[in-house]
Amino acid sequence: MTVIKGLARAEQIYQDREKRAKELKAEGKKIAGYLCCYPPLEIMTSLGYMPIRIMGEMDEPLTEADTYLPTVMCAFYRSVLDVAMKGRYDYLDAFIGAHACDGAERVSYVWRSYLKSPCSFYLDIPHTNHAAAIEFFKKQLFYLKEELEKTAGKKATAAMIKEAVTLHNKQRSLVRQLYELNKQDPPLVSGSEMLQVMIAIMCIPPEEGNVLLEEVIEEVKGRAEGPKKKKGRILIWGSLIDNIAFTKLIEDCGLNIVIDDTAIGTRSFWIDVDETEDPFDGLAIRYLDKIVCPRTFRDTKNTRMEDLDNRFSYLKKMIKDWNVNGVYMNIIRNCDIHGYEISEVRDYFEEMGLPVLVIEQDYSTTALEPLRTRFQAFAESIN
Amino acid sequence: MGDKKKKKSSAKTLQTAREAGNFGKKILASARTAAEEGKPIAWSMVDWWLGGTIAKAMGVELCYPENYGAFCASVRRAEPYLDYAESDGIPNTTCGYARNCIGYTRRLQENNFVIPQDAPGGGMPKPLFLLACGAVCDARYKWFQSLGRYMNVPVWTLEFPQTGVAEYYLAGNKEENIKFMVQELREFVSFLEKLLGKKMDWDNLSERLDTIFKTHQLAHEVDILRKSVPSPAVNTDFWALMIPHLYLPDDPEALEFYKRVYEEVKYKVDNKIGAIPNEKYRMAFSELPPWHTLGLFDEFAEKHGIAFVIESWNYHAPSPLPESEREGITDPLELIARYSYHKFNESAPTAKKYCMDPTIFTAPYLKWVEEYKVDGLFCHPLMSCRPATYTLMHLRNLLMEKFKVPSVVVEGDIVDLRVFNEEEAHAKIDAFIETMDYYREIRRKEGFGW
Ligand code: SF4
Ligand code: SF4
Repeated sequence: MTVIKGLARAEQIYQDREKRAKELKAEGKKIAGYLCCYPPLEIMTSLGYMPIRIMGEMDEPLTEADTYLPTVMCAFYRSVLDVAMKGRYDYLDAFIGAHACDGAERVSYVWRSYLKSPCSFYLDIPHTNHAAAIEFFKKQLFYLKEELEKTAGKKATAAMIKEAVTLHNKQRSLVRQLYELNKQDPPLVSGSEMLQVMIAIMCIPPEEGNVLLEEVIEEVKGRAEGPKKKKGRILIWGSLIDNIAFTKLIEDCGLNIVIDDTAIGTRSFWIDVDETEDPFDGLAIRYLDKIVCPRTFRDTKNTRMEDLDNRFSYLKKMIKDWNVNGVYMNIIRNCDIHGYEISEVRDYFEEMGLPVLVIEQDYSTTALEPLRTRFQAFAESIN
Repeated sequence: MGDKKKKKSSAKTLQTAREAGNFGKKILASARTAAEEGKPIAWSMVDWWLGGTIAKAMGVELCYPENYGAFCASVRRAEPYLDYAESDGIPNTTCGYARNCIGYTRRLQENNFVIPQDAPGGGMPKPLFLLACGAVCDARYKWFQSLGRYMNVPVWTLEFPQTGVAEYYLAGNKEENIKFMVQELREFVSFLEKLLGKKMDWDNLSERLDTIFKTHQLAHEVDILRKSVPSPAVNTDFWALMIPHLYLPDDPEALEFYKRVYEEVKYKVDNKIGAIPNEKYRMAFSELPPWHTLGLFDEFAEKHGIAFVIESWNYHAPSPLPESEREGITDPLELIARYSYHKFNESAPTAKKYCMDPTIFTAPYLKWVEEYKVDGLFCHPLMSCRPATYTLMHLRNLLMEKFKVPSVVVEGDIVDLRVFNEEEAHAKIDAFIETMDYYREIRRKEGFGW
């Protein structure tokens, strides 16, 4: 029997995201589902929970969502609740909701009103990175730990959390190594492959994820048949993408996705947790302040330029390091967090001389095909 | 077309409600006068009585772009601003108040920050800073941040923690929340002191707080009077009356005015005078109204005898802060924090009782349907406001499941007239009458008290 490894294994996990969690659950392991990139994985891992990122399903028609959520809501979170109400996440031992944005917040509430897991926690996340906000967030993380401990049947010591920090930092560093390989032209990993790997590691234990990442890095480094050279080397900014039907469509139109700033991509992995004396300090700072998502408000600076740089200069660095020549701004319909940011980010990119394509999409694979001509025209516009 | 564009405001049933609009005019006029005199102006989100009062205690005059959005909609002059915001890349799905404000600010900038002659209600003058707020909704800080495109003024975001129901009851968590709020209020005071180059006037703040508590207590007592059958006041009265208690509760004039409101409502209760002549059905309304077409509710009253007896949780003053929470508190910032936290969490016991989340926008209605003897809920999902819409379906499920109270869903918007269909609203209400009759019978059989 051949052992499936590397990219093929990532694809397999991507295709059946719950499989590993259910296998482990059958072996007696506890599973914690969480929303967005804000609940610290280290706390779950240290207590023996396997963290799994809760996602929607672009392929699945919404049949339950309308009963619980209005149509004007973030299309992604409607899908999340839709699949949850159909039982997809019934096996969870813990549900960790989060105040990442209004959508995540209200879905956490509605979820908890109808779906009862043995453990459930709603993580309030402040809106700013003020010192008091970080202190408050740290306290909330402590409550999260205590609630998880009740069902974990054990206590997490500082040493256990520090160990988990090391483990997850290793994962982050491997993810960065993988993205590094896309600095070359053509990139070594396609956007669709990258997405499969990112989703895969969010659906298996971190130790297994690290092995998978090492395999993938090894495999693609030596590959002859990677992505073809194309005219466009694009960055995707914005709301998340969690289905390769979307990235494939983009890539079919003559564009290589070389880097992204999205929530199922670099945003979840880019920054390490500092190994602080009290691990909760490192966690609070990393998850609230260092994750760069427009949901966190950063105090305005003295001049407009300083303010924009404070918020977006990391993008400038990505553009330069990955030699990007076009930007696709992906907005899930009804996502306010990204919606209010569109004009500012678009202008910021355009001032760098980059062509920008902005699309508000409906988080549904059946609504993708009409976008093809827009991506084709965009690819044409790139020099 | 001509007919569709015709203004459709409500006649309102209370004399005081008819006068309340003057407070809205006063806000804008005072801000413009202050601007002419070179005094500091800020634009502020409705902040549920946290920061606005603090800024005012330091001599800052405030305008409220949310209220301005509602005003522009009510005189049906929001559309050009909405278009102007959208043409700069703001999605047409974002908050109507925000797009109104963004379009307005873009015009203001193009006019070198001189208020354009045609600005509805005389317009809002350029602010020295923007006071954003973390309570309730992302738009209320992202929108102000996005105005940086048009004017280079600092934005301060006031934090507001949002607790889950189970978490509200975690040992020590409430105090952690309050501690955080107090620290943030202190930071805000420092921000103001630096920006304005002067010290906080604590006495002035305490005086204002005192007035706020009195005004709110009256507003709350009026809410209690509204439990009477027939209802002495309806939703369209409330939406006018809320301007003084929501925006100017610290103004002695608002306090005096509210004494009159109380008298008027009390008189009607004592004499069993209903707001509408022939009250047959008592409905609740959730959450934000179609400002452009408030006259619709007068038509429902006339046609079907529907009194809208309670509405818009978020716009109501909370019940007074319990003595136990006030005792020994000398720091006005802590008093503000406790009061605001109380406003957002006072229905947590109800939410806990029914094993549901969230407290905000949802749990209060579970109390209200019983207390106000509600026959039906009017859900108004907004095309452009998610926070006040997200939990509507959840709420209607809960009301049916727990109380056999049905609801009707009429989609629309606070500001955007383009997405509202009046005929459809009428047709839905016509059909809903039978549903309310049906469930009245069911409630009677199942032993509910109304
Ligand atoms: S797409 Fe927007 S609304 Fe949806 S989860 Fe992301 S930030 Fe929240
Ligand atoms: S709550 Fe709704 S209406 Fe108010 S600012 Fe937020 S999106 Fe706009």
